[in-house]
Amino acid sequence: MKILVVEDDKTVGQYVKRGLTEAGFHADLVGDGAEGLRLAAGGHYDILVLDLRLPALSGFDVLRTLRDRGDGMPVLVLTAQDAVDFKVQALKMGADDYVTKPFSLEELLARVEALGRRPKAIAPPVLHVADLTLDTGSREVRRGAKPIELTPKEYAVLEYLMRHHGRVMPRTLITEYAWDYHFDPGTNIVDVVITRLRKKIDHGHEPKLIHTVRGVGYVVKA
Amino acid sequence: MQTIRGRLTAWYSVALALTLAAFAAVLYLDRRSASYQDLDRSIQSEASLTAGMLAESYRARGVLVRPDSAGHAVLIPDLSALLEAVPEFLVITARDGSLLFASSDARALTFQKVEQLRELASAPISGRASGTVQLGADGPTIRYAVHYVSDAGPQFGAILAGANVRSAEVGPAQLLSTFALILPLGLMAALLMGTWIANRALTAVDQIITEVREITDGRSLHRRLAVPVVKDELGRLVQTLNQMLTRLERNFAALRRFTADASHELKTPLTVLRAGVERAITTPGLAQETLVTLEETLQEIKRMAELVDALLMLARADEGIAPLHREPVDLRSIVTEVQETGELLAEEAGVTMEVATPAEPVIVSVDASRIRQLILNLVTNAVKYTPVGGSVRMQLGPANGRVALSVADTGIGIAPGDLPHIFDRFWRADSARTRTGERPGAGLGLAICKWIAEAHGGQIDVVSRPGRGTTFTVVLPSAQR
Repeated sequence: MKILVVEDDKTVGQYVKRGLTEAGFHADLVGDGAEGLRLAAGGHYDILVLDLRLPALSGFDVLRTLRDRGDGMPVLVLTAQDAVDFKVQALKMGADDYVTKPFSLEELLARVEALGRRPKAIAPPVLHVADLTLDTGSREVRRGAKPIELTPKEYAVLEYLMRHHGRVMPRTLITEYAWDYHFDPGTNIVDVVITRLRKKIDHGHEPKLIHTVRGVGYVVKA
Repeated sequence: MQTIRGRLTAWYSVALALTLAAFAAVLYLDRRSASYQDLDRSIQSEASLTAGMLAESYRARGVLVRPDSAGHAVLIPDLSALLEAVPEFLVITARDGSLLFASSDARALTFQKVEQLRELASAPISGRASGTVQLGADGPTIRYAVHYVSDAGPQFGAILAGANVRSAEVGPAQLLSTFALILPLGLMAALLMGTWIANRALTAVDQIITEVREITDGRSLHRRLAVPVVKDELGRLVQTLNQMLTRLERNFAALRRFTADASHELKTPLTVLRAGVERAITTPGLAQETLVTLEETLQEIKRMAELVDALLMLARADEGIAPLHREPVDLRSIVTEVQETGELLAEEAGVTMEVATPAEPVIVSVDASRIRQLILNLVTNAVKYTPVGGSVRMQLGPANGRVALSVADTGIGIAPGDLPHIFDRFWRADSARTRTGERPGAGLGLAICKWIAEAHGGQIDVVSRPGRGTTFTVVLPSAQR
């Protein structure tokens, strides 16, 4: 899948391009709106990742021109503004989705993937780690054959860790995923959720699946 | 009176009433003095006519006086018959002061009054005199003129002609009563006219008020008022307002641009930082200390981004350009959503958490994400400032046709001197030390809470007793309308 990244900040652009490339996409980077519009209109790209703030021709202009021409290619907008009306405006103008800076690369990838496969609408996957399963469709969690009841936040944290099983996930990223962006990452709330999850998932079971990396975060692995 | 319309009409009517009254007074006085002059002229001419007649008769006939049956000197009969034609009071005296003739009106008077007239006429004068006198205590007030008679024989003294002043008062008095009738009618007409004129002039002002409100209430600052064709005061007002709207629009646009620029300039480096840290933190085989440092950096980046958002949001809120995306929501669902997080925080802090919500839906028209932020802020604060063993209670319910949400804790409380400042930006009590010793926030949380509550047409209040606890209460307008 070919992705065009239009971002005037070289460092951000390079990170996005590298992240996309490492995730298996073919990504090209351009730094200004006019060039971006020309390339996007060529029909060679499947997805457009567009910064809204560009010199000269802004991201809004690129988006409006594309949509005015009847081009329906999926567009993911990068915005620095948290303000809701800004996002609403972008969506109204025909953007398919947005991420707010500073975004996590993982969030960006997830959204690009979602945009890329949107038409096919494949079934949500079931995550497995050892004998722990999590069905992202029905939100059912089992350890072995035993069903486990989770609260919404417990579910969110576990899902996040299982999606990245084997990798140490920093507490900040876990908090950001499971809570609102406006929630202070400085609290120890993740630790409380992990304690509860351990009781429900690891208590009385071997091997233990949830591991602490002190001062950093948690990892789920067999 | 609260409206210019009323005041204008009132002033207009008062002014008109005063003008009318002054006009009536001047007219009355003028008319009265003219009447008196007429009266004076007529008695003067009566007196001189009589004097002339006496002189004429004297030249023609010589003796004009003869004694009557009692031996008193009186005017000869044919002359007195002639003088009977003179109206009102006519008195002729002899040189010795005795009465030679009195007209029928004078004869009808009491003796004392006739004597009064006779004395006036026999005053030792020569030439002419005139004046006003009241006859007796109850008699008529008369104007009189006295002419000394010198050329009608040695017997004659003087002639007094007099007239009741009532005749001079009748005309002006009638005028006054006519005015008394016309004045209220005129005032009423003026009141009606005044109201009509004021209405006509001020309907345009009302329209301007409505239009300006529509323009500044909504987000339609690009609109302008319709400029009237006539360049009168209202036309100039409209032009001035339009210039003001242009400046407002420009300022708002500048602020929008500034917040957009500031967001971009501040967050792009944060994005770079974050991407770098995220990449680094997922590199396999890193030392534990490196990971910890990276996690701490990540946390600071998030805090920084949050701070930028909070500052820019408050900047936009100050200018009234931080819009809310309102939709009807059951507040209970937001409370329940926050409840789990609150319970997790409370559990970690060794604090108990209670939530009381009503059985029926609590529908409000709000920006759900903002209200969630507000409640979460209050609950986080409550847990943070409550020592182990304390409790936090969240309660939702109706309050006087509105909706009240309170978050009460049994925490350290707020010093009375600090209470007025807690909603200020960047404000932190010196004494506020958090239980865990974790780093305090930027001090924008409650300022944002206050803005959110007020932007929804609600309010936020706090009651606190040091050492006993604090209760924040948010009151929001109900959606039922």
